[in-house]
Amino acid sequence: MKKIPKKVKDTINIVTNAYGKSPDLNTRIIKINNINVGILFFESSSQTSTISDFIIKSIDFTSQNVFENLFNQIKNYMFNCQVLTIKNLDEFYYYLSSGFTILTVDENEEAIVMETRAQLDRGVTESTSEPVLRGSKDSFTESHSKNLGLIRKRIKDPNLWFEEVKVGRRTETRISIGFINGIANKETVKQIKEKLQKIDIDGIIESGNLRDYLTNKPSTFPQFLSTERPDIVCNSMLNGKIAILVENTPFVLIIPTVFIDFLHTSEDQTQKWINITFTRILKVFAFLITLFTPAIYVAITTIDQNVIPDKLLISLAIQREGVPFPTAFEIILLGIIFEIIREGDVRSPSNMSAAMSIVGALVLGQAAVDAGIVSPITVIITAITSICSMIFTDIDFTNGIRAWRFIFIIAASFLGLTGILAASLILLIKLASTENFGTSYLAPLAPFNLEDQKDSILRFPTTKILKRPSYTTKKNKTKQRRQK
Amino acid sequence: MKKYLIIFVFCLLSAGCSNYDELNNLSIVTGVSLDKKDDIYEVSYLIANSPKGQTSSKEGEAKTTVYSGKGKTIPDAAMEIEQKSPKKIYLGHINVVVISEEISKEGFFKTAGWLIRNSETRKKFYLLQAKDEEAKNILKIVSPLESFPSQSIATLLESNHDSKSASTAITYSTFIGHVLEKGYDPILPSISIVGDSKKGSNEENIKTTTPTAYNILGPLAIFRSDKLVGYATIEESQFINLLQNQTDQIKYTLKINNNKISIDSYNISSNTKLKNKNTIDINVKASGTIQNISGNINIKDYNEIKNIENHWNENLKKDLYKIIDRMKNEYECDVFGFGNKIYLKYPRYFEKIEKDWNDKYFKNVKVNIKTNLKIISTGSLQETLKEAKK
Repeated sequence: MKKIPKKVKDTINIVTNAYGKSPDLNTRIIKINNINVGILFFESSSQTSTISDFIIKSIDFTSQNVFENLFNQIKNYMFNCQVLTIKNLDEFYYYLSSGFTILTVDENEEAIVMETRAQLDRGVTESTSEPVLRGSKDSFTESHSKNLGLIRKRIKDPNLWFEEVKVGRRTETRISIGFINGIANKETVKQIKEKLQKIDIDGIIESGNLRDYLTNKPSTFPQFLSTERPDIVCNSMLNGKIAILVENTPFVLIIPTVFIDFLHTSEDQTQKWINITFTRILKVFAFLITLFTPAIYVAITTIDQNVIPDKLLISLAIQREGVPFPTAFEIILLGIIFEIIREGDVRSPSNMSAAMSIVGALVLGQAAVDAGIVSPITVIITAITSICSMIFTDIDFTNGIRAWRFIFIIAASFLGLTGILAASLILLIKLASTENFGTSYLAPLAPFNLEDQKDSILRFPTTKILKRPSYTTKKNKTKQRRQK
Repeated sequence: MKKYLIIFVFCLLSAGCSNYDELNNLSIVTGVSLDKKDDIYEVSYLIANSPKGQTSSKEGEAKTTVYSGKGKTIPDAAMEIEQKSPKKIYLGHINVVVISEEISKEGFFKTAGWLIRNSETRKKFYLLQAKDEEAKNILKIVSPLESFPSQSIATLLESNHDSKSASTAITYSTFIGHVLEKGYDPILPSISIVGDSKKGSNEENIKTTTPTAYNILGPLAIFRSDKLVGYATIEESQFINLLQNQTDQIKYTLKINNNKISIDSYNISSNTKLKNKNTIDINVKASGTIQNISGNINIKDYNEIKNIENHWNENLKKDLYKIIDRMKNEYECDVFGFGNKIYLKYPRYFEKIEKDWNDKYFKNVKVNIKTNLKIISTGSLQETLKEAKK
């Protein structure tokens, strides 16, 4: 632990050298009664108007009559709501980089730290990745304190606790583990904290970087819900889940996440329950369609032709007339081209995506069929598959389905429907054996819990959902009391 | 790792009889016909996915191709077709099988095994008897209403089976089951061609508003064991279907004092019961609607309705006795399965008499028919039109 030197000039020398004489580091020395007072701040990350308006002014005000220890007097009369003293050079650098202003006084081994951070983030805007028709429109931003504020203003209970861990040798990223004391499983919070503290890496830039540290088994399906909507986070926390907020990230991770969470949206809380039930059933169908359709098509057209009705078989056979590639190859080819287009569309600036979709639609849909390279039914299957996969907002979930879709196609092309059955068994085993922080991934379907079915695939009216999910919380299960 | 190994083994064990085949390398056979002439068998396949079909709906081309092959045995004949067809013959989607009279007269079991043994076939296809016509010609007739001939025959059969009762739909496996069953002689629907069969196979046939040739379902073909013995009439076919309890609906025309009364009966059912080793009770129930009255009857009068009902009961009873007598004495074929009823109740006894069943015992079975037919409605008219004019 390096100490702060007693002389102000020494301190300034050490700090400017440490920062490689960076031009945005501002230093100033004011003499008060022959005692040097040094002011250090980064003009890039702090708000200079605050420094001149309040800090310089209050020093000036103090210097007019000094009647006690100068250090203490400055500290006590400072016009700033957040004033700390530090003794350590490492802390010194952390605060200075974060945009704080630091005051040092001769013959003092301590320094005064004042909050003067610049607003280097955008305002609270509408969510772009999870838009809703009905529901709150705000979303998390890159500012850590704003993110905490968006949650705090929704849950006023003092039991809303945030535990902070700093991760990253160089970035020193603040990570807050948010939960409601008394509902969330304390053991899980402890485990998460321990896992985060063990991380010894130079930098954590985004919450997505943490995923790999918190999961045990490799899986294509995401084990964390990552959302930029404060209402989802608050609902999850009220249900006993734990949120991980990472500085400079608008995406919050939620632990534990189960498979069924990816079929839910924040609108489930705001729309009519009976329609939501229908929507959720649709989503289950969409999940099955997007996972199985291409594989089933390959299986029934190349191996198990027996199972198709006569008329359909003949129409399929006539459509395939003159197509040069085997069915499985055709499906995989078209699937890969679609995935490339989708990936390109996501990465390209919005003014280019129109060109992309025209080329995609014309080349894939029309020209390829007219040229006789692919059969029309393959285009239809690829289209159905991709549309159904778009119904899920979480990109990791969609990509997880995509990986398994290709596995299914390969299994089907070798063994037909038997292959699909075998691959589905493997998928089920994989999903069921996935566990994160003591919660089975398929809960509450497996292990089955009747009470939890009120809000899993079906949704009951809010008045009927009295309990929190049994897999998140062991104690304090009652969510609402029955009305009299 | 163990669980994945188990799944892998499960895959190998449940591979089944399917094989990898691209759809465009298959000739999908939807109809099969079996003919025989002078000890030479002829097998014909109706192949539905001929590439011509792609534009057929617009240009009216024939969508289907019929390949025939000849040989001393059925498999030989089938082999000849495989040599003709550029694509692999796929028998998994056979819809109808038509057999010629020569084949069924010499005994269908000589040739029936071939389609059953084939692992590709589904065994749920319909079996038909070609009447007065070569079986392959029947497959060739193009219908303006259905996309390919086998489909048109299948739908014709199904709709007949459901509503009209002159014919019946019998699958290949049921037919074979009936032959194998004790005390049962099977029937088959027959099919023939009206018009010129050569013109009927031409695509011109479906361009005209009145097709020059079309398939028509004939009366039931009566079999003794697996051999064809003759045909019933259309009217008799109805009654055979009724006695087998295979139909819901029968149209019946009565004649009372020169008035023709057509009755359409719904929910018609018959119940055959064994009374003792030599007596069979049959109960026929139905409710009918008057469809048309040619003469002048006051049907507002309850007694008139009663009168019609009585006539209907008696006439139907008479007709049923007549068809049973005809089967007993003329064909000696137990198509109603009376023998089977006896076998189920007195198996030892029936096994003894089984050999002489058709010739002797069947003729001596006493049949009591009770009918309970009721007219429940006179349709939307409450009186005859002539009556209304007065």
